Amino acid sequence: MPPGRDDPASYAATAESIVERVFGAVHELRDQVLASRSAATVRRERLQSRHIAELRPGLIRLLAQHRDIVVGMGMIVAPGLLPTERRHLEWWQYLPGREQPSALQVDLNPDSLGFYDYDTAEWFSVPRSTGRRHIVGPYVDALGTDRYLLTFTAPVLADGVFLGVVGADVPVSRFERKLLGAWRLCGESEARAGDVRTDVLIINSQGRVVVSNCASALSGDLVGGGASPTPGVRVDLTDLPWHLQISTRGE
Amino acid sequence: MFHEGAGVAVPATIGTGRQAIFAPLDDGSGRSEAVVRRLASAIALGLIADGEQLPAEADLATSLGVATVTLREALSDLRRRGLVETRRGRGGGSFVRVSEHALSALSRRRVRELGSADLRELGEFHAAVAGTAARLAAERASGHEIDRLVATLDRFEQAPTTAARRRIEGRYYIEMAAAAQSVRLTRQEIDLQSELAELQLVPPQSAGWASSILGQHRAVVEAVGNRDGVLARRLTEDGIALRTLGMIEVHLSLTTGAGDTLDHDSAASRITTRGVLDDAPRT
Repeated sequence: MPPGRDDPASYAATAESIVERVFGAVHELRDQVLASRSAATVRRERLQSRHIAELRPGLIRLLAQHRDIVVGMGMIVAPGLLPTERRHLEWWQYLPGREQPSALQVDLNPDSLGFYDYDTAEWFSVPRSTGRRHIVGPYVDALGTDRYLLTFTAPVLADGVFLGVVGADVPVSRFERKLLGAWRLCGESEARAGDVRTDVLIINSQGRVVVSNCASALSGDLVGGGASPTPGVRVDLTDLPWHLQISTRGE
Repeated sequence: MFHEGAGVAVPATIGTGRQAIFAPLDDGSGRSEAVVRRLASAIALGLIADGEQLPAEADLATSLGVATVTLREALSDLRRRGLVETRRGRGGGSFVRVSEHALSALSRRRVRELGSADLRELGEFHAAVAGTAARLAAERASGHEIDRLVATLDRFEQAPTTAARRRIEGRYYIEMAAAAQSVRLTRQEIDLQSELAELQLVPPQSAGWASSILGQHRAVVEAVGNRDGVLARRLTEDGIALRTLGMIEVHLSLTTGAGDTLDHDSAASRITTRGVLDDAPRT
């Protein structure tokens, strides 16, 4: 059944199902890392760069499988974990006009103007400190992919040791297209019902619009830090740093 | 953007790591001067650290797309300037030496050879990008992003050298554009910072100059925090205009009465600069 304006829960369910699919892929990648780590432990080896490189085929397969929504995936290794390099990203992404994904190259020299400071990035620091999954964005991934993104990350913990985070990048525009495509059904049913419009916004914990179906508040806009009262119904999304705000106009 | 002897592909690109330093120079000139500019930019940006070893001559020439003889000429120029040191024998090779004095001499040379209209246009374009970014950031920056800008300016205040301060300032502009939630402005700002890297050590920044720049940036971030986009934009534009004027004054002082030659660096250090250059190196 398509979501209708009397049914805020189904707007939420549509969003949750897309999010859970992305996290499903992220968790699959995490399990691959953990499997590779246990295999190394059995061989009494320390986790090394080559173990991370061994993730590539599985990672690229996952990326291809979710290509309709995910643009990049990978693992970001905890600084100091690998013996040979202080920092390491195993991140693969589709670039415009290329059929095969390519590895993301960033500047990991801390004294450089272009240093990709992932230790302090929210998508890295939050899962590290909370031990839980997280979604960051919309944000501009400056000096990294230079895209406007939602980044879904989860910590990789083995026997209480933090190995890094695994994650997936979803372009804001693609998430919007997916979600509005599902929500459009509701707009159509309303058109038949008369001149009533339902404004649906997903808002993150910083008060930033993630997705919206009304032009007055677009992805990336701030709509008050959540403290200010906003009209309409508020629905918190399950286990996500997001909530829905639904209001109707024209009645 | 520059008309004279300057392919836009010369500066090393920010944010893509070491491989970009050694990407082909596609300005078609293949001159050793372009190689010197590329490597000096990469050093100024911090892409190559002090003491880092450069690839073997043949490999470096291939990846930059220049003849070995051209590369040797460039390395010998860099050696003379004190930016590269060559050791013979086992474990030998060419190693980078970060010399702020040498970088600043190269910056002066570049500022001298560009036209005043080039410098003005570069400043105006930067003001357009950074000014709009500041205005949009005032509408859209989250509390987290504003905290990050404040932290970046705190690091600017504590930076040990002019070059380090310049790199942190470059990050400040890029973070501001990202806080504006604009991919296009962020990319433009990254390109601008790549291009500005070889000019930025002019004029030299005295303690007083640096603290006045810091004051300007802090005022912008405060305006962003107060959601005053008009003020944030105006302060950003004014700050960049002042910097551009300083650079043009250096250009004029280096070229006026110096004949039309671009070749003797000594002219650069002989001329006493005026105005904002209160600690220009003098010999």
